[in-house]
Amino acid sequence: MLETIQAILERVLNSSLLTTFLLAVRAVTPFIALYVIWRSYTSFKKGQRRKDPVIMLEDAATGAHFPVLYWENSIGRSRSCDIQIPDNSVSRDHAVLMRRDEGWFICDTGSHLGTRVHGREITEPTLVEVGDKFSMGTTTLILRNATDVPQKKHSIFTGFSKEAASPFKLMLCVTLVQLSMTLQLMLGTGQFRLFPIAPFGVLFLAGWSLYFFSRRILKRVSFEIETVALLLSSIGILLLSGQGLDAVKMQIAAMLIGIVLFCFLVWFLSDLERVMKVRLYIAIAAILLFVLNLLIGTEIYGSKNWIIIGPISIQPSELIKIAFVFVGASTLDHLQTKKNITEFIVFAGACLGFLFLMKDFGTALIFFATFLIIAFMRSGSFRTIFLILAAAAFGVFLIVQFLPHVTQRFDGWMHVWDYPDSLGYQQTRTLTYIASGGLFGTGIGNGYLKYIAASDSDLVFGMLCEEQGLFMGLVVLAGLALFILYARSDVTRSRSTFYAIAACASAGMLLFQACLNIFGPTDVLPFTGVTLPFISSGGSSILSTWGLMAFLKASDERTYAAKRGGRRRPGVENSYMQAPEKPASTSRGKTNTAPKRAQEVAPQHTVARPRRMEVRIPEDKLSPGAGRHVRRKESDRR
Amino acid sequence: MKTTGFRSFVLYILLAAFLGGLGYFLVMLVVNGENWVAQPYNGYIYAEDSTLSAGTITDRDGMILAKTVDGKRTYAESESVRRSLLHTVGDSSGYIGTAVQAVHRSRLIGYNLLTGLNDTIFSGLGTDIRLTIDADANAAAFDAFGVRDGSAFLYNYETGEVLVKISAPTYDPMNVPEDLSENEAYEGVFLDHTLSSSYTPGSIFKLITAAAAMEAFPDWNTRTYTCEETCTVGDGQVTCLDYHGELTLEQALGHSCNIYFAKLALDLGADTLQKKAKEMGFGEAFQFDSVSTYASSIDLSNADDLTLAWSAVGQADVLANPYHMALLMGAIANGGSTPEPYLMGSGTGTKYALTDSTTAAALHTMMRNNVANYYGDGMFGGYTLCAKTGTAELDNQKPNCWIVGFSDDPAAPYAFAVCVQEGDSGLYTAGQVIAAALNALGT
Repeated sequence: MLETIQAILERVLNSSLLTTFLLAVRAVTPFIALYVIWRSYTSFKKGQRRKDPVIMLEDAATGAHFPVLYWENSIGRSRSCDIQIPDNSVSRDHAVLMRRDEGWFICDTGSHLGTRVHGREITEPTLVEVGDKFSMGTTTLILRNATDVPQKKHSIFTGFSKEAASPFKLMLCVTLVQLSMTLQLMLGTGQFRLFPIAPFGVLFLAGWSLYFFSRRILKRVSFEIETVALLLSSIGILLLSGQGLDAVKMQIAAMLIGIVLFCFLVWFLSDLERVMKVRLYIAIAAILLFVLNLLIGTEIYGSKNWIIIGPISIQPSELIKIAFVFVGASTLDHLQTKKNITEFIVFAGACLGFLFLMKDFGTALIFFATFLIIAFMRSGSFRTIFLILAAAAFGVFLIVQFLPHVTQRFDGWMHVWDYPDSLGYQQTRTLTYIASGGLFGTGIGNGYLKYIAASDSDLVFGMLCEEQGLFMGLVVLAGLALFILYARSDVTRSRSTFYAIAACASAGMLLFQACLNIFGPTDVLPFTGVTLPFISSGGSSILSTWGLMAFLKASDERTYAAKRGGRRRPGVENSYMQAPEKPASTSRGKTNTAPKRAQEVAPQHTVARPRRMEVRIPEDKLSPGAGRHVRRKESDRR
Repeated sequence: MKTTGFRSFVLYILLAAFLGGLGYFLVMLVVNGENWVAQPYNGYIYAEDSTLSAGTITDRDGMILAKTVDGKRTYAESESVRRSLLHTVGDSSGYIGTAVQAVHRSRLIGYNLLTGLNDTIFSGLGTDIRLTIDADANAAAFDAFGVRDGSAFLYNYETGEVLVKISAPTYDPMNVPEDLSENEAYEGVFLDHTLSSSYTPGSIFKLITAAAAMEAFPDWNTRTYTCEETCTVGDGQVTCLDYHGELTLEQALGHSCNIYFAKLALDLGADTLQKKAKEMGFGEAFQFDSVSTYASSIDLSNADDLTLAWSAVGQADVLANPYHMALLMGAIANGGSTPEPYLMGSGTGTKYALTDSTTAAALHTMMRNNVANYYGDGMFGGYTLCAKTGTAELDNQKPNCWIVGFSDDPAAPYAFAVCVQEGDSGLYTAGQVIAAALNALGT
């Protein structure tokens, strides 16, 4: 009986019917993945608030109004200031008005004549409330509620659908992709295999746990970044499962730790004061970790970038990527006071120095690119950037001249077909098998690239394309590239320049790393052995990628906004607004019924007494034109 | 924050670079995908458990030359056919890069951009190839080579169809010798010598010297030189096989007299001969089914008189490629130009003009005269051949034996070039190869 079943199973597995069916499955899967990636982005865009004034500043003398648009606003005479005061007694970059948990703060940033609140010269950030006056030079400004202002219509193309997709539906699609890949793993290799249920189960549980934790317990509004990250991690892990369960055990564990790290970092980043305080310690810790790496590190493939303790081997440089972003980003008042970026240059220089000593040039390149992004976003000075680039070009020249194994990489570049069995060995195999896979791949575990060294890390893009098809490869790349747009669209909406810079740096770092990973083996660039975020085998890599996701998540102001959803505190009237279930699903501009959205909130003059360890984001931060809605609400009651 | 927001455009630079690189890669994939796939290490094609079945290759009469049976590549039934067509059909490992199985591998295995090398219901469509080759003629000619190495090429100079193409050393693709890489006898076995080699041409080069004279001297028809078996040139000697006395060009070509052509070349000068050789295709790499062939070569730029004299009779440093020689014969037969030969489909439509029609006609007459009055028609059973033989003397080695020419019969418009290494004489060693091929082609 059992034998008969086995025989039937064998026959089905070896029939061409099954191959065709699996090809169809492989052809459909990337479309689902693409749907998730695209809809996540459009939903993310739809959920964002419009750029309308949060509060206003009134010139006491003239009565002129200055709209305050951001969480951190530079005030000064300069045209580049967010609030430009046409008064010669005001310094070019005079002060910063910023929103913190406790309320609005004014902070003098080294002006000539100083800033006065209630007639007293301030030396540190000072709380100002609505109606308070503060003066700079001969100008006195009064903090006012945002009044009714005509709202500009935004016509940014955000997809074909008017509604944001439900996060639940998108997560279901992720599960569908996981199922499809698991099915391929179980049936696709000619014999029936049961083990793929294990990675599927863990991925399924991890994904949905994160979903319920974030949406139901923390009451967060958005889940798009996590959805994409879970999708990409699932694709990576299930792809690697093609080589057996042992190949992915560590990978899965690392992803779980990564998710925990992500949650921790998102929480940790909520308090800017705390973050700015520990930056120095993070920098020191990063340097110490590098030193430790140099002292007890192990050299693998010519780079001394591993620390091996018992069965666990980690790549400290991956973790330092997170620290690098931490140290690089900064709040606007810090940026304005200390215009030069010497400290960061020194830190970056030290990091690069250590990486050179470790001979890990691929990672050094990634750090350098991230450094350029951060340096430019902080200083905006092309001159500095060009100087840095010139120095770097010289450095690269020296490296190419004096390090034979780097010189070789450059020699082989664009000539891989001349040396298919030496300099171009990995590249030619990658190209051959990418082409062999076609658009829809030959099935997980059926590839031949897996027999080549580093196929699951440096050449993983080739393996992905060979086994899942070029189309899936492109979808994964689209997912990584879209993080750039997430970061970009949050940049003036985030709660501080710290988050904006950190998100841009993270997204840039990931995409740059992806560029090195896919263009190296495909001979577009010289070969550098770096990992493809989310996909490559490597625990430290997936851990740090999830860590970097936290910066993107923190940059979205909604992350912290909904935290206190559902609870109103008696005594603090209307301080917080109930978090909406689907903030974006109600179309804007039509609301004159009872408010459902994050935008319709309380007046901002009541500022809650700060309570530590609680993240309090007054919903007015999410509520342009809040006053109007509140008035409506009151009139409704009457 | 406005400024920070504005500065974040640096990310777009990165994004643009990413998209640019990706676009470049995709274009390369579309353009070169079939070459990338067709690599000898590609597991989809050559792994033991590969499920891909490459298409069937047949000759012009439908004889199966290569076929996949149960995942294994099998070849023609006759060993002579297999060995003679190794360099045309190809081997199972893809070592012979100019053969059909290598050049058209992506078509044979059903590669396309959409499904790659996936084994789908569509991958078997359009993968069979019918060659213009006549397998029996190949086998017959190959047997006539005996144990000798060399190459033979015969094609229809009116249409371009290739009927015979042999390169030796060769081996049986069904029983690959284990000592293939060590045994000296197999040196250069992966090269198709008709396309990728050149040999010292010997007397067949006299056709080029004659063509140069026809253009340079209006009285070439009546011009005579005297052969006294040896002749001193510079500080050396040119020797001949016989004492021929006073000869015209036509007689000299028939006798293949070295002295006549040496003296003729000295009167022509190195530049004239060099120029004519270049016109007739020396130094040029021709195309054959997307394979670029090895160019024939002659370099007289610093030649002294003795070198010039020996070069004029195809010795010294002159080297000729068999494919090129066959093309030249086709051009002479065809009034000056020939279509590019092909193995499958209907050819590329390219034409090679290698000489003018007057010269072609004059050479045609003289080559017919060679066979009719000097070599004898009897050897070539029924064909009206025009030919020139060559026996290229080599140091420490038996000579290269050549026969180049074409058939005058309207029903059998064949042009050919045969070179047998270490033979006895052009006419007998190389002649019997072409005779065997022509006999098998029959009528």
